[in-house]
Order: sequence, then structure tokens, then C-alpha cells
Amino acid sequence: MRYILIALLLTAGLVGAKTAEAATVLITGSNRGLGFEFSKQYAEAGWDVIATCRTPERADELKALANKYKKITVERLDVLDQDEIDALAAKYKGKPIDVLINNAGVLGDLEGQTLGTFDYGNFQRVMGVNVYGVLAVSEAFREHVAASDQKKIVGITSGAGIISRGGGGGQLHFYRASKVALNMGLKGVASDLRDRDVVVGIIAPGAADTDMRRELVGDLAAQDQEAADSVAGMIKVIADLTQATSTQPYNYDGRPMPW
Amino acid sequence: MKRFLAAAALMAALVFGEAGQAATVLITGSNRGLGLEFARLYAARSWDVIATCRNPGGTDDLKALSAERPKVVLERLDVTDQNEIDALAEKYKSRSIDLLINNAGVLGELTGQSLGSFDSDEFRRVMDTNVYGALTVTQAFKDNVIASEHKKIVAMTSVAGSLVGPWENIGGLYYYRASKSALNNVMRAVGIDLKKHGVVVGLVAPGAADTDMLRNDFKYGGPMVPPAESVAGMVMAIDRFTQESAKNPINYDGVILDW
Repeated sequence: MRYILIALLLTAGLVGAKTAEAATVLITGSNRGLGFEFSKQYAEAGWDVIATCRTPERADELKALANKYKKITVERLDVLDQDEIDALAAKYKGKPIDVLINNAGVLGDLEGQTLGTFDYGNFQRVMGVNVYGVLAVSEAFREHVAASDQKKIVGITSGAGIISRGGGGGQLHFYRASKVALNMGLKGVASDLRDRDVVVGIIAPGAADTDMRRELVGDLAAQDQEAADSVAGMIKVIADLTQATSTQPYNYDGRPMPW
Repeated sequence: MKRFLAAAALMAALVFGEAGQAATVLITGSNRGLGLEFARLYAARSWDVIATCRNPGGTDDLKALSAERPKVVLERLDVTDQNEIDALAEKYKSRSIDLLINNAGVLGELTGQSLGSFDSDEFRRVMDTNVYGALTVTQAFKDNVIASEHKKIVAMTSVAGSLVGPWENIGGLYYYRASKSALNNVMRAVGIDLKKHGVVVGLVAPGAADTDMLRNDFKYGGPMVPPAESVAGMVMAIDRFTQESAKNPINYDGVILDW
């Protein structure tokens, strides 16, 4: 009987300690756009934020944000640099990461991904960052995620990666290829990590006024929603994700999307 | 009178041209497996077959076919070598190509595309061949296809490239599957690009065809379809391609595959 009591107390203590601890999110590409907003909003919500980007020394806004919110730690991470990925994963070894947001992504040069002007370097970069980068980072941090409470890996997809909608011709062929390949890669991650109870989110930000969006449509991006609104929606979608809805693509506003 | 004669000559040339000129198919990766079967089948139909592969010197089956059927011409083409692509397109400049079959593809090594042992070189090899190769070959020969009668471009996809279906809860084979879903999306975009020229772009899947790729690369142990049967089924789908029917990937047995 005494043992049972001790066991109960111990369990209660552990659970208590666990819930008292803040959740942790790791975000790639957090120096600007959606990644920056993710960092800000998770910090405001009291999370521990590991905000990664390629060149922290140039990420002034992010550094300012990290000064304001002590829960933000800025880390260097180029998702194409395996050594950097391995080093960061080693540095945080044993640290549970509740939500991994694979946000880093590129649109690629608009020139060089239309029929007639295909450029291999552009293809390689878009596929490398948007697909391989996500796979490599998810691979490196899967144990951190599996060891956490929430166990979520998220990829940022796009309507351009929804094949059934027929998309459009004309432009962004590599970007389109990368986003559907990303979706497929994330389905693989979900399949491989299902028995570890890891949940995978595939979420589209909608048209939001970011630098990337301005690369595509210029000043017309001013008519898009604010990045903050898109991210607020995506954070809610992430919070609502369960094993049952794992890999179901969602728009930022919670609407399910087809493949 | 002069005008009438010119018109009559033109008519005769058109009619004679249509009746007397065989259709032409260009096939990539035609040294083995399905590519070889495509070459055999179209040769049996008395088409002009431009059978391309990386190393025409080392392909006994294809050489034997070409010796038996003089309408089969062997050409060197590595779909990841832009110079070879450009040279071949130049050689066949202004020659109409009725059907372009982007058949060349690789499975990739299984280990390097398993979670826990991701290998970026393998990623690049699979994406370059299966996606960029098909895109750049299509780009190089699109004018030949536009100038032809049949005006068809085909790419080989796979049921493993469907986001929904028998593979959806299976891990592994990340790059191959991502490459095929990416291929689906971009070929669809290319189809939209070329629709205005009357070109139909379609996707066909071979099923579990008994090829080197499936048997030796993938070590598949299940029931397999003879390559000739698989190809006959795909050619039937290609024969019937219309803008409408080519919208979804079609399996060799006529089943429409999910995206």
C-alpha cells in the first residue's frame, strides 16, 4: 500500500512538473515573414522559442525580438547545411521540442522556372530548401519531438502544391514541384513516426503580406492579410492537430484542403 | 489556274504526307525495362522510334531491336546532361515528334532515402532524373511535338507517387515518391502551358511491372506484371489521351489513380 502511495505521489509530481514546464517550439527561417511571426506569437504565449535562421548576425528584427522576450533563443541554422543541422541537434540533445515548424522555404527566381527558361541551379535550390531541408531537419530533431508532450512536426505547404486544383501553368513550376514533394515527404515522416505518436501538420499560410509574397506579386501583397493573422490561424490549426488529423492539409483558417 | 495547281499540290502533299509518313516517338531510358518495351511496341506499329539512353554502346537488347527494325534509331541521351539534350534537340530540329515519352527514371538507393539515413546526394540524383530530367527534355522537344500530328507528351509516374492510395501509410522511399508526386504536379502545369498548342500532356503508371527497378532495386517480392503487358496497357491509355482523359494519372490497367 505504501508503495502504491509513493508511486502515486511520484507520478503526480512528474505530471505536475511536466505541465508546469513551458512548451518548446523550434522554428526554421525565423528572421522574417511567417517565421518571425511564429517566433513572436509563441513567445507572447509563453513558449520557449528556438528561433533559427541562416545568418543571425544580420537578423536585427529577430535579435530585437529576442531582447524583448527572454524566452526566445536565436540559433544559426541553414537547412541546407547538414553540419549545422547536426550541431544544433546535438546541442539540444535531450531537450524535448513540442512543435517543430519547418518554415524555411524559398520561392526561387521567377525567371528560370517557366517552360522555356528552366534553370537547373534554380531547381536544385528550390527542391533543396523546400523539400530536402525539411526532411533533414525533421530527421535530426525527431527524437526531440518524440520526447516532448505535444509531439508535432509541421511543414508549411502552399495552394501551389495542391495538384487536384489543377494549379496553373505559366510560372513557379519548381515551387509547385517542391510543395507537393514536401507534402509527400511529410506523409512519409508521419508514417514512419506514427508509432512514436508524432503528429504531422501540413499547413498553408494563405496569401499573406511577406517578403516572399512580394517577390511574386510586388506591392499587390499589401492587399493580402497580415502575416500576423495568417500565423495566428496556423498556430490554432497546430494546437488543434491530433493523430486523427495528422497529415490532413489545412489552410491557415482551419479549412481542410484537398491534395 | 496557277493558284489552283499550287493548292492542288499542297493538298496532295498534305494527304500524301499524312498517309505516307509514319508517326515518330522519342523515348528516354529505352535501353531496358519499360523503355525497351515501348520501343518494341512502337517499332511493331511501324513508327519511327528515336530510342534514347545514356549508353547506347552497352545496350544489346536495344541494338538487336534496331538491327531487326531499321526504323528504330538509337541516340545517346542522359536526361541529366543539358549539353546532350541540347545537341539531340538540335539534331532533330524541325523534325516532328508525335509522342515524347519521358520514361527515364531512377528509384534511388533505399538506404539513403530512409528516415535516419537521409543522403542529400541521393535526393539530388532522384529529383534530377525523375523531375528535372523530364522537365528539361520536355522543354527541349516541345516544338517538335507542337509541329507533329499527334502532339502528345507522356511522363511515367507511379502509384507510389499518389498522396492517397495503397502507399499512403507506408514510410520509406521518400525521394522516389516525392519525385513522382512532384512530377505529377509539374507535368500538369506543363500541360496547361501547352494546351493552347493542342498538345496533350499525360501521366501513366506501369503498375508492378517486372523490371530491374522493381525486382533488383526495390527487391519487390509480390506478384508482377510482364513489362510487355504493362506497356501495352499504357499505350492504350496514350492512344486515347484527350485533354480531358489525361487529367489524372492512368494506371496500365486503365484505373485512374488518385493524386
